[in-house]
Amino acid sequence: MENTERIQKINWFYLFLNTLGPAVFMVGMIALGVALPQQFGLLCAFIGFGGAVLWWSFLGHRQYEKKRDHRINALTEQGFTCNHIFHSEGNSLIVDLAHGQVALIFRWNPGKTYIRPASTLSDVHVEDGRSGGGPLAGSSRVSFLFRVDGIKIRVNTFTSNRRWRMDSDYILTGVSKADMMVEALRSAGAKGR
Amino acid sequence: MFRKIRRLFQDDLCSDCASKMEMTRKQLYAMPTQWVGHYVPHTDAEFYKRNLTLVKKKADIPVGMYACGLIAYRCPQCGHRTVKASIFLPVRGEEKMEQTLYFNQGELRIWPD
Repeated sequence: MENTERIQKINWFYLFLNTLGPAVFMVGMIALGVALPQQFGLLCAFIGFGGAVLWWSFLGHRQYEKKRDHRINALTEQGFTCNHIFHSEGNSLIVDLAHGQVALIFRWNPGKTYIRPASTLSDVHVEDGRSGGGPLAGSSRVSFLFRVDGIKIRVNTFTSNRRWRMDSDYILTGVSKADMMVEALRSAGAKGR
Repeated sequence: MFRKIRRLFQDDLCSDCASKMEMTRKQLYAMPTQWVGHYVPHTDAEFYKRNLTLVKKKADIPVGMYACGLIAYRCPQCGHRTVKASIFLPVRGEEKMEQTLYFNQGELRIWPD
């Protein structure tokens, strides 16, 4: 079931289409609005501006989620057992404990699913992002990392724009999720050997 | 009012006569249906009767699985009985508390084995 295609985290065409595409659409619609009579012109400009803002705020992400779910369904149809599915903002990781395989789908390359034997994963570990000492110890990011095909993959289980104490509920939940996924990857790896 | 405030800080006080209750039984359970990121709170005693698995120590609980500690209390003054259920997520020796429930009507008289 595995594919040997080289892992590409970012599809640059897709990234530019998602970030600059709405801007081009907005400028185009505003330009069209200028050329059209007053009411139609205003409507065109409004659709252009509103459409771009909606795409950047949530439509783009919704479209990615749809694509991702479609890919996961396709995996299941191929016989891949989705024992653990973990979605983070940058990628999604699916672990098949029965066949000892993992599948990866990236946020900026949702058109491809990379399937690898879990035994080829190396350096699987948790990073709790701890900084500071004693009672001042805290973190703003918890993640688990691994290396596949020489590429380092980081999957965040918790991120925040502020720093939280190491015993806070957010950090403990993030650490627990990361520990669980690392254990799942290790068990899948042991199965694949 | 004063009794209620005291009970907030001391969970082994009798809700009827406010005397200190004695612990009669204590047991740790794993909750195989509750996992990190997918926790659903339940207040029904039947749920706990059906979904608890006995474990000897905290280390036996798989990573990411919730645990439930049951403590049975009995009041030596008025004979009132209660069972305290603490649902928590064990994380590297620490506990992330999720829910604390008291069963005062004998709902958890028979504990899961």
